[in-house]
Amino acid sequence: MTTRPSPKLRPTWADALVILSVAALAMALAVFQWRGGDSGGALTAVVSVDGTEADRFAPEELLEQPRTYTSNGYTLTVTYGVDYEDPSRNALPPSGKSGLRVAFSDCPTQDCVRTGTISRGGQSIVCLPARIIVRLEGGPGDPAEVDAVLG
Amino acid sequence: MKLTTTQLTLCALLTAMALALSYLENLFPLALAIPIPGVKLGLANVVTLFALFALGPGEALLILLARCFLGSLFAGNVNALLFSLLGGLCAMGTMILLARRRGLSVYGVSVGGAAAHNCGQIAAAVLTLGSRAPLYYLPVLLAVSLLTGGLTGLAAACLFRGLRHTGLMNG
Repeated sequence: MTTRPSPKLRPTWADALVILSVAALAMALAVFQWRGGDSGGALTAVVSVDGTEADRFAPEELLEQPRTYTSNGYTLTVTYGVDYEDPSRNALPPSGKSGLRVAFSDCPTQDCVRTGTISRGGQSIVCLPARIIVRLEGGPGDPAEVDAVLG
Repeated sequence: MKLTTTQLTLCALLTAMALALSYLENLFPLALAIPIPGVKLGLANVVTLFALFALGPGEALLILLARCFLGSLFAGNVNALLFSLLGGLCAMGTMILLARRRGLSVYGVSVGGAAAHNCGQIAAAVLTLGSRAPLYYLPVLLAVSLLTGGLTGLAAACLFRGLRHTGLMNG
């Protein structure tokens, strides 16, 4: 074996540069990716299966009935905030937000179920084993925009 | 590359340890706290870091490739191979480059490797799904890599300290 210099075992200032670079990249990507809705048009859910668009609908359509998608041997049930598996539970998802979520999946990772509810344009739920993506498009571009005025 | 019997044995042992650590980290379900595909501690990276500094880039790459192929074989999931290979190769390339910088410690190399690993995995997800949607998760994964990279760097630093007396670190 060749003789190698021993690595430094205590954090250095140069490490801080690496950490800052990663943090800056994360923040830049966050601003780019999460800058809000696509600003324009009504909020629409787009479901892609294996890279091909399979369904497109207004999220509220799922209030009446959830939709089920099967791909790669796995089945996903997408709902609008209602827990169809256990109707005795609160009608709103655990986070209290209204929006789309994967209420059931028989995939091994369950990441799609744990992702929770998505409610803004640009957000998505990805199920890698099933190769299914549920993505929201459109919706209000300004997050401060008033949703509704009551009274 | 020509390996001596000692080097070959060491590479085989480290591959087995990396596979065991990959399995062990399933007992720490980080994804329960951060529900994003691809979130994990990356304990096997401790072995890659050790191999990189103690044996060299060639041997570290051999161990990484063996871990990726055997890991997906044992898991019975060929789809996972692309993810582990792209993530692993991105991490390895980054760590080889960073390890050459004299000012950096194992912490900096580890954090850089963890961040590159996540970039590689997201690239694999984009290729597999044929959509840019997985990029949405990259900022969170990069932020998490600061924590996981720091932790694996700490584990590697402890390992190097513990093995100083063996002479392994000096070839």
